[in-house]
Amino acid sequence: MASLIRYVIRRLLFMIPVFLGVAILTFVVGNAAGNPIALIRAGLRNPSPQVIAALTHYYHLDQPEWERFLWWLWNLLHGDLGVSVSGRPVASQIGPWTWTTLELQILALLFSVVIGIPVGVYSAKHQYSKSDYAITTVAIFGYSMPTFWLGIILIVIFSLDLGWLPSSGAVSVSYLWGGNIYVDQLAHLVLPTIVLTYVELATIVRLVRANMLEVMRQDYILAARASGLSERTVTYRYALRNAISPVITIIGLGFGAALGGAPALETTFSWPGLGYAFTVAALTLDIPLALGITVVITVMVLIANLITDLTYAVVDPRVTVD
Amino acid sequence: MSERILEISNLRTYFFTEAGVVKALDGMSLEVYKGQAVGLVGESGSGKSVTAQSVLRIVPRPGRIVDGSIRFDGEDLLSKSEGDMRKLRGPKMAIVFQDPTTSLNPVYTVEKQLTDILTLHKDLTKEEASKRALALLERVGIPEPEQRLKAYPHELSGGMKQRIAIARALSCEPVLLFADEPTTNLDVTIQAQVLELLKQLQKELNMTMIMITHDMGIIADMTERVTVLYAGKVMEVADTVTLFKSPKHPYTEALMKAVPSVKQTRALEVIPGNIPNLIEPPVGCVFHPRCKYAKDVCMKQEPALEKVTEGHYAACHFWRELKLEGRA
Amino acid sequence: MSAERSKRGASQWAVAWRRFRRNKSGLVGSSIVVFFVLVAVFGPFLSPYPARSYLPLYEGDAGTSPSFKHPFGVEDSGIDVFSETIQSTKNDLYVGLAATIITTLIGVAVGALAGYFKGIVSDVLLGVTQIFFVIPVLLLILLFARVFATFVFHGWGLTLIVLILAFFGWSSIAFIVRGETLKLKEMEFIQAARSLGAGSYRLLFRHIVPNILSPVIVVATLNIAGFILTEVVVSFLGFGDANTSTWGLLLNEGFPFVRTSWWVSVFPGLAVVFCVLGFNLMGDGLSDALNPRLRE
Repeated sequence: MASLIRYVIRRLLFMIPVFLGVAILTFVVGNAAGNPIALIRAGLRNPSPQVIAALTHYYHLDQPEWERFLWWLWNLLHGDLGVSVSGRPVASQIGPWTWTTLELQILALLFSVVIGIPVGVYSAKHQYSKSDYAITTVAIFGYSMPTFWLGIILIVIFSLDLGWLPSSGAVSVSYLWGGNIYVDQLAHLVLPTIVLTYVELATIVRLVRANMLEVMRQDYILAARASGLSERTVTYRYALRNAISPVITIIGLGFGAALGGAPALETTFSWPGLGYAFTVAALTLDIPLALGITVVITVMVLIANLITDLTYAVVDPRVTVD
Repeated sequence: MSERILEISNLRTYFFTEAGVVKALDGMSLEVYKGQAVGLVGESGSGKSVTAQSVLRIVPRPGRIVDGSIRFDGEDLLSKSEGDMRKLRGPKMAIVFQDPTTSLNPVYTVEKQLTDILTLHKDLTKEEASKRALALLERVGIPEPEQRLKAYPHELSGGMKQRIAIARALSCEPVLLFADEPTTNLDVTIQAQVLELLKQLQKELNMTMIMITHDMGIIADMTERVTVLYAGKVMEVADTVTLFKSPKHPYTEALMKAVPSVKQTRALEVIPGNIPNLIEPPVGCVFHPRCKYAKDVCMKQEPALEKVTEGHYAACHFWRELKLEGRA
Repeated sequence: MSAERSKRGASQWAVAWRRFRRNKSGLVGSSIVVFFVLVAVFGPFLSPYPARSYLPLYEGDAGTSPSFKHPFGVEDSGIDVFSETIQSTKNDLYVGLAATIITTLIGVAVGALAGYFKGIVSDVLLGVTQIFFVIPVLLLILLFARVFATFVFHGWGLTLIVLILAFFGWSSIAFIVRGETLKLKEMEFIQAARSLGAGSYRLLFRHIVPNILSPVIVVATLNIAGFILTEVVVSFLGFGDANTSTWGLLLNEGFPFVRTSWWVSVFPGLAVVFCVLGFNLMGDGLSDALNPRLRE
């Protein structure tokens, strides 16, 4: 128990330099043109004088660069993300976007794990069989394609040609599906979720399969069989338990990567989440908004990593020893 | 005279790999009587471990038993269902593996690994199983067993891990125990302790023990009967004493010459060459490429296992003529 | 038979090469990669239209669906998709290869130093690697691309993208190299070299680095795939260079018209999928070839 607590503290402490790193990088980007206001001006929006005044104050533009960075850090730590070019505070907009993004990400993660792990185990146990080859091929295609492109293809097939499912947004203006807003929301969720799930599944299946193959070769699996334990016990409690640790890490990292990759997928489906908002903000050089979203997503990734680390420590106690 | 507990007849276990068919065991026979301590000796790759795996029918893929018969306690093992075999694994037969670091599951405590097996084969509650596990640890000579029970394998030393592996193998009091190079991965000082432990336990439990090793010294110390294996085939079978006094196969002689002794004044003789390619083994006698006595017929015809005297067999064309050196 | 076998090369590279030749997916992948390299090199000479050319518009073919004359169809703006896909090949490969080379150099340097030395330097390097590993790189890549393309590095084209990708993409190689270096450091041949008078830098570059090449080659090959995918995303979202033909740019131009001109979105995407697939399969084949697991 003690080593577990020490491990958690170590992981928490690690989050600090990461946060600092992101703060530095975003600061550098924001000041690439000397100061953020000049950047914004170059974009497609023309901020009103009140906004300019607010931002000048927020970024402490009257101070030298060093202090500006420290103020930026201070603001971040206090959750003050400034004001977007449109005048609305960044922080207040982020809430609804965050839920929308998480909705999609968590759903896809759940599906891909629940489907991916058994499929990977099956594939490993039936190595070289036809179904193994089929599964592996489908998986390889899965992580060889740009996620958003698969989205486009599905949109073309299911939405434009067949008209079965909506192609954009999270909710329709007119409730297409019999007036029930929940069904409508669900209908909108289908395509993006399928796309994201498939891509994440591909990685998980491959990884589980590879690790299981490795673990099943080990002596302790042979010893477990030699002790008369049933095939199911050997496969799931002994083999999978050992094979799963790296998979957990990858799931956690994958979640972080998927979050980071949200811009493309959400833009394709006009899914009103953080990714879509970020893309628009970055393209139009709405700097406060873009930087704010970056920071928020970073925090989400860090939390995801922490959860991953904790799960890892519970599954494989060897990692808590330094 | 006690009965035969294990009878392997002309066993062939092949591995069907991408590189070809590896004939790990190619016509191997073995007879073991109840309560005996028997040795199975040969270099790495001679098929010793595969024998144990074949008897328990846990040969890993891509390996398969393709021919031969295995009788245990009068029953034909090869015709048993997987479910029936599982009932035998543990309560009737068990293996102690070579490397305790890899043969213990890294993510479970010692207690869990032992109780898993105990609760499976015996009708015990968790508490009863834990008590049994504790008793087992004490039996194999582990100090402070209560703490060790809760430990994970990576927290223990090599010698201790191997004792636990032995405890695990013996947990259901098997009749037949395969000890597959149990001391090869341990420090020399610990080796002696573990071997002594195995000797004691074998006597106490009246177990039949098959000691798999490449070390002739261990054979001399622990066994009463030996089978010499090379490239999946039997080269010689004899009582240990007889084998050492008058070996009848060149390979046996070479094995003994390769073991140093304190009294020795001549140079160590290394067996030249390597173990043969098991995908395409040599034609004729499988040992002929490395045999210093090899003649023409050895390259053409495989020698059969011939009777030298009662209980002593050798597979060599020239066992009558050769004057081989043993070690007294 | 054994004698014949021993005449063939026994160096680890020869052995690996033989294994690679036997690996089906590796061969398929390599063939695909070779195909794309050939397209990249010879394509621009053989493609029907020059890069970014609006000629078909003047030929009255704007927005037409795939036909014999225009196998992948024509964009609404008049750009021939087939030519453009071909022309983009060399640029996408350029991004993938250039970014990989840079990140490999950085990653090996950082990883080897972090793994070999102890103390502050190594800890700092490890920390920096971890930071770059965890942050959501795509967001920062997009930001950097948008801002720096506009303000600082005007007219650098794809090279700017390469540099940004490289800046954010070296951490996975650094981790692997560090891990391997840590393992190798303890091995006896290092002690032996040291006992014969080798100093730290000689040990690092003559002994350790050659031994970590295998995993690095595998990861580098897979990274090429990853960088191409990233470039596609960057260009698709509109953060790339609008004057250079890339598959991502095609997808970007095609998306608003996906209802009517689906071919602009489908065919370049297929090119990406197969190119990336090729590198992934090749990487898998290399991984199998260089990391023997079968007991032979």
